Amino acid sequence: MFNYTLRRLLTVIPTLLVLIVFSFYLMRLAPGGPFTSEKPLPPAVMQNVLERYGMDQPLYVQLWTYIKNIVFHFDFGPSFAQKDRTVNDVIVQGFPVTLTYGFWSAVFVLVLGIPLGIIAALRHNSVWDYTMTGLAIFSQIFPNFVLAPILVLLFTLSWGLLPGGGWNGGQWEYIVMPAIALGTSYMAGVARLTRGSMLEVLNAPFILTARAKGLPERVIIWRHALKPALLPTLTYMGPVFVYMITGSVFIDVFFSTGGIGQDFIDGAYSRDYSMLLGLAILYSLLTFTLNLMLDLMYAWIDPKVRSSL
Amino acid sequence: MTDTRKRLNSKEFADTVAEEMIVSRSFWADARRRFLSHRLAVFSVFMLLALLLFALFGQYFARWSFEEIDWNVLGRIKTEGAPSLENGHWFGVDDLGRDLYARVVQGTRTSLMVGFVAGPLAVLLGATLGALAGYFGGRLDQIITGFYTIWISIPYIIFFVVWQAFFGRSLTQMIIVIIIVNWTAGLLIVRGQVMMLKHREFVDAARMLGMSDLAIIFKHLAPNILWVIVIYTSIVIPEVIMAESLVSFLGVGIQEPNTSWGALISEGARTMTFGTLWQLAFPAAFFVIAQVSLYYIGDGLRDALDPKDRR
Repeated sequence: MFNYTLRRLLTVIPTLLVLIVFSFYLMRLAPGGPFTSEKPLPPAVMQNVLERYGMDQPLYVQLWTYIKNIVFHFDFGPSFAQKDRTVNDVIVQGFPVTLTYGFWSAVFVLVLGIPLGIIAALRHNSVWDYTMTGLAIFSQIFPNFVLAPILVLLFTLSWGLLPGGGWNGGQWEYIVMPAIALGTSYMAGVARLTRGSMLEVLNAPFILTARAKGLPERVIIWRHALKPALLPTLTYMGPVFVYMITGSVFIDVFFSTGGIGQDFIDGAYSRDYSMLLGLAILYSLLTFTLNLMLDLMYAWIDPKVRSSL
Repeated sequence: MTDTRKRLNSKEFADTVAEEMIVSRSFWADARRRFLSHRLAVFSVFMLLALLLFALFGQYFARWSFEEIDWNVLGRIKTEGAPSLENGHWFGVDDLGRDLYARVVQGTRTSLMVGFVAGPLAVLLGATLGALAGYFGGRLDQIITGFYTIWISIPYIIFFVVWQAFFGRSLTQMIIVIIIVNWTAGLLIVRGQVMMLKHREFVDAARMLGMSDLAIIFKHLAPNILWVIVIYTSIVIPEVIMAESLVSFLGVGIQEPNTSWGALISEGARTMTFGTLWQLAFPAAFFVIAQVSLYYIGDGLRDALDPKDRR
């Protein structure tokens, strides 16, 4: 188990390195930059600006300094476009916001998705089942960027129940809609997957045995069927986390939560390369961490996987 | 009993059987029959065709072009910019006083183009790499699957935004970046299929005839995995359209004066607080119709082609 974790961590390092080196060279070779404007700066000023950001040195020196600063000081450098903020400032301010509603969104996905799937499987081919399946298809077709405006339209503009954006220190009213808008389609996916695997498990011979022993239905489901039925759902959560991170960029922009997504997009607009690169590294780190946690959990639940590690 | 025998010996029965054998001899004819019996899928094909026709010829029914600003309604959009038959704005006007119908035609064209060009190309790329990995195995396989595992664990938005920031935001760049982002589509399943098929007799026979490896892959294996590729393309196209719409919504995708469904939905969502709901409703409706149709077409194709799903 420990070895496995170590091995996984070791594959993360080269991946991140490739990502950094690739993006670093890409952005320095791309035409135009954060300091090119319609009116070109006088050469002397330009020289000063480049010196200020260390861009007058050879590329590999810059790259080396950049990586060194991240590894030893966890310092992503200054923002090229926002004069008074460093990339670290943005991360410290925005990342907790994104993580907070992301966490509640994941809770929403699992706490609602899994029971819905189980109910649909237990009441196979009933009205419940059809409603659930219909709902699942429906919400896969309504991605977050169609759903979020509809939610705001209903809950903010029509009924005035919830604020249509902002963060306000993370009061619950401000978390509800981002979490739901981000999670709904994955909630439906989880429900559909849980339903499918639960149906499969319920037809397995060991459930027949349990029934034949005369165990009450409740015990059969909770003690015997649930765990194997949840395994596929757990593997599905890996890609879901990746997609939710993508979705969070949209949520940050649409609901103006002040999360890092907004700065990421702004960075693309203003060619703020240090911001883009820093946040891209942060997003990748987040994905790797979540995936690793998920894999370890998988190994912990499934004895077959555990023994093969 | 005699009745049955009589019926079996009758000429009509012989004809039916003969016809049946002619009609349903090939895999694809079988698949076509199964697909046509999936009513929702067939209906969806017609919906999609309607969308295509709309994208191609919709402009001829517009009374305004997509770049003209209607100065009569500008500034009074909330009260006079609503959809109306009288002033020729079938879908109303957008925030800048441009005809929304013409804009939606333009956006439909862009979104469908991205989906139907980038989607299939991405699958072809993934399938080719998957076939190579599966066929040759060994080191090549390790490298390709290694890249695959890393790639699918990077949120695509990162790559998208970074790429667009560096190389600009034209339609061509959009298609290129979507192909790069989705090159993993269909890779694993094609690899699996090829690994299974490469030990079959017909491959051995081809090899004994002295065919090269690449010729075997493209001449003999490709037709046998075509069904996987078709299914995957039908899944990837709506995903691609969705990805394009998301980044266009975020403002890092398709740029003015061009537009797409996502960009239009974004404009509509921004102005809905002013009560100009049609600006959100029409693009969103087109987007949803396309997604629903593509979903059911994919569903129908899976039913028709996948041996496991066969009813």
